[in-house]
This record gives sequence, C-alpha cells and structure tokens, in this order.
Amino acid sequence: MTTPATMAIATRDLKKSYGKQIALAGLDLDVPSGVVYGFLGPNGAGKTTTMRLLTGLIRPDSGSISLLGRKFGASHEHILYDVGALIEAPSLYPHLSARDNLIVFGATGKRVSSARIDELLELVGLRDRARDRVSHYSMGMKQRLGIAVAMLNDPSLLLLDEPANGLDPSGIVALRDTMKGLAAAGKTVFISSHILPEVEQMADIVGIVSAGRLVTQGPLDQLLAGQALVRVKVRPDEVAAAMPLLVGLAGDGRVQISDAAAGWLSARIAADRAADVNRTLAAAGIYASGLEAGSDLESLFLELTAPIAPPQAPPRPGAIPGWNSGVAS
Amino acid sequence: MTLALVGVRKFWTRSATIVSLIIAVVLVALEFVLVGVSYRSASAESGLDTSTFTWLLTFPGAYDAILALSFEFLGIVGLIYVATVAGSEWSWGTLKVAVARGQSRWQYTIATFASLSILLALGLLITFVVGIVAAVIGGSVAGLPMGNIGDLGTLGQTLVKLARCAIALIGLTSLGYAVAMVAKSQMAGIGTIIGYFIISFIGPALLPDFIRRVFDYLPFSVASNAIGLQGPAGASSSASAGALDPNVALLVIVAWLVGLLAVAAISVERTEIAG
Repeated sequence: MTTPATMAIATRDLKKSYGKQIALAGLDLDVPSGVVYGFLGPNGAGKTTTMRLLTGLIRPDSGSISLLGRKFGASHEHILYDVGALIEAPSLYPHLSARDNLIVFGATGKRVSSARIDELLELVGLRDRARDRVSHYSMGMKQRLGIAVAMLNDPSLLLLDEPANGLDPSGIVALRDTMKGLAAAGKTVFISSHILPEVEQMADIVGIVSAGRLVTQGPLDQLLAGQALVRVKVRPDEVAAAMPLLVGLAGDGRVQISDAAAGWLSARIAADRAADVNRTLAAAGIYASGLEAGSDLESLFLELTAPIAPPQAPPRPGAIPGWNSGVAS
Repeated sequence: MTLALVGVRKFWTRSATIVSLIIAVVLVALEFVLVGVSYRSASAESGLDTSTFTWLLTFPGAYDAILALSFEFLGIVGLIYVATVAGSEWSWGTLKVAVARGQSRWQYTIATFASLSILLALGLLITFVVGIVAAVIGGSVAGLPMGNIGDLGTLGQTLVKLARCAIALIGLTSLGYAVAMVAKSQMAGIGTIIGYFIISFIGPALLPDFIRRVFDYLPFSVASNAIGLQGPAGASSSASAGALDPNVALLVIVAWLVGLLAVAAISVERTEIAG
C-alpha cells in the first residue's frame, strides 16, 4: 500500500458542508504520482467542492489534505506553486490577449518566463491568435487558454475540471496526448469529468464519488474487469417480460433498463454467459435483436452512483424517461 | 511591486479605465470653456459680480479651481471605476485563478489596489494638464489675462496640492474598493457609493448639529479638506469647505485608506471563493 507521503493527492475524512447541505461526507482520496486520475461523479456529488478544497479556494470543515507529499492548509499556499488548476469554466480577462492573460497570471504565484508563455501558446495551438482579445475567442479557444494558464508553472500536479469542454475533436485528441505525456514524464493529472469515454481513454486510475463519498477507486482496467456486463435489445413492448427472465439469471438489483424506448436492457452477468441470456429469452418467445457482452465505465458509473429505486414498470411507448429513471431490481 | 505594475498593464486597456478618464477629462475641460463663454456674456451686463469667473480662469487661482474640479469629478467617477474593477475580479473568476496559483490573498488584494492607485494618480495628472489647457482656452474666450501661470513658487505649491489631491483621491476610492471586495460584487460597490453620496448631501442638512459633525470625518469630506485648496479671495474652495484643518484631514483620509484596505484584505483572506 502506498503511503500518503508518496501520493500526489491524499485526503483523509475530508468533510465540507454549505449550511445544512453536505457536500463532502468524509472523502478519502489516494492519487499516486505519475498517473492520469479520472475523478467521476454525478452532478452535486462533490467533485467541484473537492477541486476547490485542493486549491485552497475553500477550507474544509474537518479532515486533512496532503499535496505532493506535503500537508496542505490555510497557510501553505506556496505548495500550490507546484500545482496547476482549471476549475469550472476558464477564468480570463476578456479585454486582454491570450499572451497578456498568460503574462498577467504568470506574475501571480510562481513567476513564469516569457519563453514558457511562448511554449504554452504553441502547445495549445493559440500562437497565431496570441495577440487577439480573448473576448473574440470561441469557447474552445478559451478552454485551450484556460488549460495553458493551468500549466503556466510547469506543475507537478495538474487539476482539471471538465478539460474537454468546448474542445473540437482535434483539441480533445491533443489534450489526451498532452495529459498522457505529462503522466509519462512523472507528473500527475487529476481530471474531473462527465465525459466518461474521454476519461476511459485517458485515465490510468479512476475514483467515483457519490453523495460526498468515494464509492470506488482503483486502476481502470481492474475496475472494469469486475464489471462484466451483457446488454440485450428486445422489442420495447417486450421489456417488461424480459426483465424477470434477466433478473432470474443475474440476480436482484443487477438488471437495469438502459433505454426503454429502444428496448435495451443491461444485466450484470459474465460475458461468457451471453449465450445463456439469448437462450433464456428465446425460450420465452422473446427474440433479441441485439446482444453485446463486455464492460464499460458508463455502466460502472451508473451502477455505483444511481440511487436505489423500487422496481419500475416499463414506460408507455413514446414516454420520455426521467433523469433518475432506469434502475430496476 | 511586480504584481502592481503588471496590474497597471492589466487594467490600462480596459474600456472602463478609458471611459472613466474621458468622462472626467471632458467634464473638467467643458467646465472651463463654458465658464469662459459665460464670463463674456456676464461681463456685458453691468452690475454682475464676475470675481468667481476671474478666479477660475486666471492663474494662479485657476490651479486650485482645476484641482478642485478634477477631484470632484474623478472622485465620483473613480469610486465607481474602482468598485467596477474590484467586482470584476470576482465575477470573472480571475481572483480564483491567482489564489489557485498559490498567490497570497492579502498581497493580491493590496497589489490590485496599488495598480488602481497608480492609474488614478495618472488619471488625475492627465485631467489636471487638460484642465490647465482648458482654463487657458476659457480665459482667452473670456478675454482675461492668463496671470502667473509659470510662477515657480505657485507651481511648487500646486505640485504639493496635486500630491495631496492624489492621496485624497486614492483614500476616497478605497471605499469603493473595500465595499466591492467585501461584497464580492460590482453592483454592491456601486450601489453603496451612490447611497453614500445621497446621504452625504442630504444628511447634513437634515440632521442635528452634533451628528452633522460626524460627516466631517467621513471619507468624502476629509478627502476634500485634505487637499487644502483656496477659493476666490482666499476662501475655502467648494471642494474644501469642511471643518477639519487640511493637515488633520490628510491624516484622517490616510487612516481611512489603511483601515479600508485592511478590511478588504482580511475579508478576502477569510472568505471562501466559489464560482
């Protein structure tokens, strides 16, 4: 087991409330050095609160934070000289150019050389627009500049909140390559995101937070290995009939309606039992028009973060599923 | 120091900076040109006292008049400008970026105001120089002699008054800065300033004498008195019509400056930065 001293980020029993609203209910994070760490969770799970705590913008009610092996508290802001952060939307001076924004932010915290500014403008693809006012930039260009600001001090630890927001496909690929390159160079990248396929492609380790607590944490391939899944597509009017058959194979609470309108169901069953699923459904006169076996981060995320709900009847044809629907026993 | 100088670069190109300066400069320049035009009309009518016009348009009296008007216009415009800039550090989230980069909160708060102070002092200098040109033009329109515009003794005294005016202006505008920083809002800063001005003008007329004296120690009154300007025939000018001695007023406005900056710095140091 790695000790907190060798972790890029280690939090212990971290708690934070806003009035009666509990944002973090005892978070224990362990982010090793030299990895890309994907920090996932539904809206309101405590991801942004965690980011703000890690950058000293807010202070915890209790618990401890260690950054780069050093205790981080109210009087330890100098530790952030080795940390870069993009929290929520990029915050920039709209009347200044990209270069001037980098110069202005470079004068705060750890001082930055002009060569570093040129290097970053090149890296994020803004060299040709470096003298244009940021107010004339697209959302994606502002996002690129926000990432450049986060990387100004060549940080050992980079904290990025939804870094792919607004980026075009080439920007996303470049971002992914850059993050992987940073991790390969021994730096740590901590990414909070909702775009699960992006995290799946980028992250070495994933932590999933729900209702202010970490519900799982570990290497992505190990988490997904334990996340066997079979997805089956039937006619929408046969979803109700198929459900108990799948529950019989997978067990209570392990079957979920993925897309009622399209007739997709997901069952937590080992991939090599896909044929059993097909056979059982066919024996009941339900013929699957689609069958997928494997595992994915989205299913893991939904399983770990979805609230426990009573069994649901399939929705009427044409009905729009609610944002909390989809979990069945 | 680096942070304050970079701050000047950061704020100089803001439209709020340029618009605020243009408003102050145009108002001061217009005042003197219009006084020149009015004097010419008034002097044609017999029996009208034109001594105030003469004081305004003839040097060295015009120096005090220019400083008084520059202070009054820049004081109001500067308060709103400083509150706007301070509030935008919150609304744009740029303070958040600086703090997340390990920048000390109180140093950033003080350095930002230092940048604004440099800009205010430059704005005062520009307004003052434009005011001199406008007074010369107004005087020539009125057909008045220029007077002792280049007298070294007068110039020396004027420079001292200009420096006092800059300190008074910076002290006064620290009010807008502190309110906006504590409230984390441009609108709160501007709204408080407008409310303060209304109370400053109405309050003394409505309140009993012993309460009215409290107003003599509030920022706008002490800042006006601290400049130590003279009006026509040696009377206090409109901008310095308060009860406090100019040197005492200067100390009081510096005390306000230090106190308000301390309030802003402590507030930013303790507050939670969200959004």
